Amino acid sequence: MRSELHYDAVVVGAGTAGLVAGARLAEGGARVCVVAKGIGSTHLAPGTIDVLGYAPDRVASPSGVMPEFISAHPDHPYASLGVDAVAEAARWLQSRVESGPLPGYRYLGDLDRNYLLPTAVGALRPSAVVPETMAAGDSADLERVCIVGTRMLRDFHAALCASNLNRLGVPARAVEAEIEVDRADQSSLGLARRFDDPGWRAAFAGRLALKLQADERVGLPAVLGVRDPHGAWSDLEHRLGRRVFEIPTLPPSVPGMRLYEILRAALRAAGGRLVLGAEVVSSERDGSRVTSIATHSAGHDSRYAARWFVLASGGFNSGAIELDSHWATHDRVLGLPLRGLPAEGEPRFVPDYLAEQPMSRVGIAVDAELRAEGAENVLVAGAALPGAVPWREGSGEGIALASGSRAAQVVLSRSGATAEAAA
Amino acid sequence: MASLSTDVLVIGGGATGAGVAWDAALRGYDVVLADRFDLAEGTSGRFHGLLHSGGRYAVKDPNAAKECIHENRILRSVAADCIEDIGGFFVTTPWDDPAYADKFMAGCHATGVDCEEIDPAQALREEPRLNPDVSRVFRVPDANIDVWKTVWAMARGAQERGARILPYHAVVAIHRDGDVVTGARLRGHATGEEIEVEARVTVNASGAWAGQVAEMAGIEGVRVLPGRGIMIAMNHRLVNTCINRCQMPTDGDIIVPMRTVCIIGTTDEHTEDPDDHHVPPAEVDQMLDDGEKLVPGFREARALRVWTGVRPLFEDAKASDTQTRDVTRAHALLDHADRDGVQGFVTITGGKLTTFRLMAEDTMTAVSRHLGDERPCLTKTEPLPGSADGATYMLGERLERKEQNLADQQLICECELVPRWKLEEAIRRRATTNLDDIRRLLRLAMGPCQGGFCIYRAAGILHGLDGLSAEQADESLLGFLKERWKGTWPILYGDQLRQARLDDWIFQGVLDVEHLPARQPEAVAT
Repeated sequence: MRSELHYDAVVVGAGTAGLVAGARLAEGGARVCVVAKGIGSTHLAPGTIDVLGYAPDRVASPSGVMPEFISAHPDHPYASLGVDAVAEAARWLQSRVESGPLPGYRYLGDLDRNYLLPTAVGALRPSAVVPETMAAGDSADLERVCIVGTRMLRDFHAALCASNLNRLGVPARAVEAEIEVDRADQSSLGLARRFDDPGWRAAFAGRLALKLQADERVGLPAVLGVRDPHGAWSDLEHRLGRRVFEIPTLPPSVPGMRLYEILRAALRAAGGRLVLGAEVVSSERDGSRVTSIATHSAGHDSRYAARWFVLASGGFNSGAIELDSHWATHDRVLGLPLRGLPAEGEPRFVPDYLAEQPMSRVGIAVDAELRAEGAENVLVAGAALPGAVPWREGSGEGIALASGSRAAQVVLSRSGATAEAAA
Repeated sequence: MASLSTDVLVIGGGATGAGVAWDAALRGYDVVLADRFDLAEGTSGRFHGLLHSGGRYAVKDPNAAKECIHENRILRSVAADCIEDIGGFFVTTPWDDPAYADKFMAGCHATGVDCEEIDPAQALREEPRLNPDVSRVFRVPDANIDVWKTVWAMARGAQERGARILPYHAVVAIHRDGDVVTGARLRGHATGEEIEVEARVTVNASGAWAGQVAEMAGIEGVRVLPGRGIMIAMNHRLVNTCINRCQMPTDGDIIVPMRTVCIIGTTDEHTEDPDDHHVPPAEVDQMLDDGEKLVPGFREARALRVWTGVRPLFEDAKASDTQTRDVTRAHALLDHADRDGVQGFVTITGGKLTTFRLMAEDTMTAVSRHLGDERPCLTKTEPLPGSADGATYMLGERLERKEQNLADQQLICECELVPRWKLEEAIRRRATTNLDDIRRLLRLAMGPCQGGFCIYRAAGILHGLDGLSAEQADESLLGFLKERWKGTWPILYGDQLRQARLDDWIFQGVLDVEHLPARQPEAVAT
């Protein structure tokens, strides 16, 4: 079975960049479809909006450091995007969180100051815009911290977190929470569903309150509800009579799932379509324009024709860019040229684990407008862009938001899609 | 300074050294075993996991073939729990000399290696991924052996009989009183504390390092020619039978299925330094190409980890320096009383993993004579701890057990099915803070994700147990990541690069381990 569909714009990839591009295109009036092989980075990342955390020293103020960072890294996506675009995209996201499907849930902060939030191992990670449920973990705050863990969640270890926080000068201790569940093993998502239940939550808070001391905040693994995190978090703060914050766990990431739900809702509310489980297997071109892509999914092949394509398919992490066993590198989606590859004969990786790896900055070659080299109607967003090392810089969401937004803006300003959709 | 007195001091905790300690303990001698690092961290832990049938040597080295099949049968009975009876095929591929196959069969018959020619169509039914162009196939009793399990079973068995097992204790001096070696001084890795060991006989079981250790005893000319080979673990069992090229021994001629992975080996390059672990990119490509010849599509599979091992090849007069594969694989027992006029010192080197028990037996028979109190060897019949029921390991048995009570057991490593209680027990028993030691003990982090999820969990559990500080847990976590990277960066391609990038996001992104307090305090930019 085979169908052919026509859109103003087709976005490939359902991570943060792809969903932002899709939602903003739809909001601008374009007929848009987001197609993706699967869910993207959201379910793996902590759910915070990291704009610039290390450059390479720890960044206190992203907006303050970015001009200098951009001049030092002219090939970085931020050099094309600019700090204002990142700030605008972050504000757009904050408004979509507030109008989104999770009642009362908000993202706090801006680009002027990074929060310094505890990680599950007890390091302090800088991030600019964060879920309200994490903000009280900021280490600028010197109030004592009680990290609460539970043995049944193997992806969060409170004692190690607290010990390392102490070593970093944040006064912290750890306690073990008693949690009634039916098996020894719970995923973060399994626990988050419990926290959505007010009765279960009340019983949990009652037992935990007995273990807490005066004048300490409470840090919990990031499992405080998946459908009603604001309700779960504010209820716990109220019941415990103190500030409560979440600390991201190993994947799957509950705050990331919330972000995914918010972005998906924004896309759908504006009339956009989302197709998951559809891997791009081929594309057709007319000269320097891509005219359609074909996807394969179980029992069903489809062809998507569009005037514009946004490639938000990720880098090596998603498999969209591949280094094969003969050491050749490809864009597996559209076969576009890449940039940032080590020169022929140069090492691809180096033996020091924590050094920057030569393959780190590979991405699809683009011009200053994010237009792919050799494909005039393809715009590139997110981790598919070259020039960044987002997991080291702490810049992944900043790049994804701003480049997804920019791609939408370029399409809308060039295509007249708005007028056509209105007609 | 602490001091110990013993009948036998064994230097080197590989399969041979642990085998000597086990043999000595069974004979009723008091024994101390020391290794500069973890047990089976050197050559023993750096091979492909094959328990030879002897087929590999049937044409080239009939004596080695006879030893292999003899030991293969003994170990299946005394070390059953450490062995998986995968069986082996020798296959003639289009790249192999077709005339070798008849020589191979004749060699097997002459050396007593069980060998049956089977229809290639039958072989393909059993191993559908095998190259369909193989022209002849022979079935032999190859098996795989979990060397860490074996070595620790011997060490525990020896401990139960009073032996003192000292991993991470380097020999800093070997003492001589005139023409008699009287023991050695050891230094503990963790504390720097030194221990004087007075021994009636000292056994140098340090394999590729035997020349260096002999020199410490003032003995010159023990020449061990290190032959370095690389091996690559692929992310699942592409085959369930050990697949050998039916040709004279050469590079990239074997794939061994081992637990959840399979391992291709190996190359053979002369090296001066037994601690040389570099991985030449050309050898990686060679292994992947050789893999394609045995299993088409091999390159599409994920390469998990690459490592090198150093064969301890004892030099004989005929060997040239660069052709280490031609040096005898037979073991060499040097009684320095006869060779150098030095009493109380014996060197055992050369050989191969499959024959470690025999090497230990020969060694202890000689030592027993030195001690003037000859006692019989019992390792042929006495099962190792855990192997008393004689049942060999089955790949599915742990999963089957686990599925009966999954809800009660928290799995820390999903790839290798390691539950929390097992990890906690191992940490206590070994009193180790080193996640790499735990890896060898439990196969934690040896599966497709290579520790992406379990290593943070294990570090958290380590710290949760008494006496292990956050500093130690952090160092262990970072140390593990750095050690893992050494074995992965030369083979990062395809989906395993995706996995590595996910791990980068987890460790450098979500956890930000680079900025743990163990490292230098950092400046703050504004």
